[in-house]
Amino acid sequence: MTEPVVRMKGVEKYFGSLHVLKNIHLSVAPGEVLVICGPSGSGKSTLLRCVNHLEPIDEGEIFVLGQPVGFRTLPNGRKVPVKEQDMNRLRSQIGMVFQRFNLFPHMTALENVMEGLVTVKKVPRDEAREKAKRLLEKVGLGDKLQNYPSQLSGGQQQRTAIARALGMEPKLMLFDEPTSALDPELIGEVLAVMKDVAKEGMTMMVVTHEMGFAREMADRVIFMDQGEILEEAEPEKFFTEPEHERTKAFLRRILAS
Amino acid sequence: MNHLWLFLLDTAGRMTSWDFWAAYLPYYLIGAVVTIELTVVAVISGTLLGLLAALAKIGAAKTLLTAGLKRLASLYTWAIRGTPLLVQIYLVHFGLNQFDITLSRFESGAIALSVNAGAYITEIIRAGILSIDKGQMEAARALGMSYAKAMRRVIIPQAYRRLTPPLINEFVALLKDSSLVSVIGLVELMRTARIYSSSTFRPFDAFLLAALIYLLLTTVFTTIGNYVEKRLEVYEK
Ligand SMILES: Nc1ncnc2c1ncn2[C@@H]1O[C@H](COP(=O)(O)OP(=O)(O)O)[C@@H](O)[C@H]1O
Ligand SMILES: [Mg+2]
Repeated sequence: MTEPVVRMKGVEKYFGSLHVLKNIHLSVAPGEVLVICGPSGSGKSTLLRCVNHLEPIDEGEIFVLGQPVGFRTLPNGRKVPVKEQDMNRLRSQIGMVFQRFNLFPHMTALENVMEGLVTVKKVPRDEAREKAKRLLEKVGLGDKLQNYPSQLSGGQQQRTAIARALGMEPKLMLFDEPTSALDPELIGEVLAVMKDVAKEGMTMMVVTHEMGFAREMADRVIFMDQGEILEEAEPEKFFTEPEHERTKAFLRRILAS
Repeated sequence: MNHLWLFLLDTAGRMTSWDFWAAYLPYYLIGAVVTIELTVVAVISGTLLGLLAALAKIGAAKTLLTAGLKRLASLYTWAIRGTPLLVQIYLVHFGLNQFDITLSRFESGAIALSVNAGAYITEIIRAGILSIDKGQMEAARALGMSYAKAMRRVIIPQAYRRLTPPLINEFVALLKDSSLVSVIGLVELMRTARIYSSSTFRPFDAFLLAALIYLLLTTVFTTIGNYVEKRLEVYEK
């Protein structure tokens, strides 16, 4: 069996006294598309943010690409922080796409995509520019290279953000509700780009309520509720015969809207 | 020397304000140059000091060193902003004498003003950096940037665009506050006015001319600042 891209073992996470992630065990295989859904506040974003250590975990272990995230357990059981440089290097191999895009507003679309290439991967500027251009063309923004984020629509901004993440040639992509800040008519263009990425074999963890995308692209769907993974199934089964009452209620609500 | 004083006293009574200003303007301009020098030194070193202290205050207190720097920066802004500039000027110029440290009037004035400005600029820069959306730091870190690189490439470039208006205010305030340095006898614009006020017995003309020159300087400062601000605004709606 190949090493999973993400492996979470007994992960616990608290915000003060709020228990946000409870005993999370989860593996994501290479090339797998995992969709995560669940009501607001159930811990979906936190789960993703723990995977690239934007949030530290309190208990348990996470491995990405076989490397420990945040903390390393020594043979004697003690935990020590992973070296800053190692964590940065690992992060550069994990693409993240945010609900609110988080493009750098002082840079053009082209510069946004070039930034990580030049400053993190140390790709020469000319080469980075060519690559950034190709990526932006690929997501349908070949004519917006010189636009600042404020001059782009939400959908265009999110596609730029996806191009920015893809530029780093990540081994894993995290999407945190990438379409929920968008006007309905702009959702399709972003989902289309995500589908292309999935078809190229990218390993993806996607928090979304776009059930069409989940049905079509997901290999597995997990349902989170109050910090727990309540249900985990292939999409067909997940949508047609969910086990838990709370999953059913959630699906009814989502599908009704 | 005595002849000059007598001459000034003798003619002063028959002068109009215009005559006074025309006669003394060159001396005032010499004083104004000192005021400008003082302000420029304080703006530059105060900004550097403020940037360092702001970064220390914002950064995480992970190691003993960063925790110490954070404490130090808090102590610095607390003490400086909680005491009058006038007292700080005396402490630097006369206070240090007690330890056999003798500074020139300009040095004392420049140090006191810089340290004072630095404390206020710390808070301005800190507020500017904290006003940048948290998602920016996260996006930068998610790309694999170190904290320092994310600050340098993503946060500070955005912050400094927002910082220009409050910083310009601070620089204008600094220009005006530099007049306090006249108390230790540095002949800048304010001191020049005091000298001619008492030597000519025309305090109104003497101080009004200083006021007009200050006004001219602050207006020029503000205008340059506004121009820079406009140039930096391109990307924000
Ligand atoms: N930085 C934080 N500090 C304190 N509480 C937080 C923080 N981030 C999230 N939470 C809380 O943790 C819970 C889970 O949040 P989140 O992971 O964002 O949920 P979801 O993405 O499923 O809506 C929520 O109750 C939320 O209010
Ligand atoms: Mg969320």
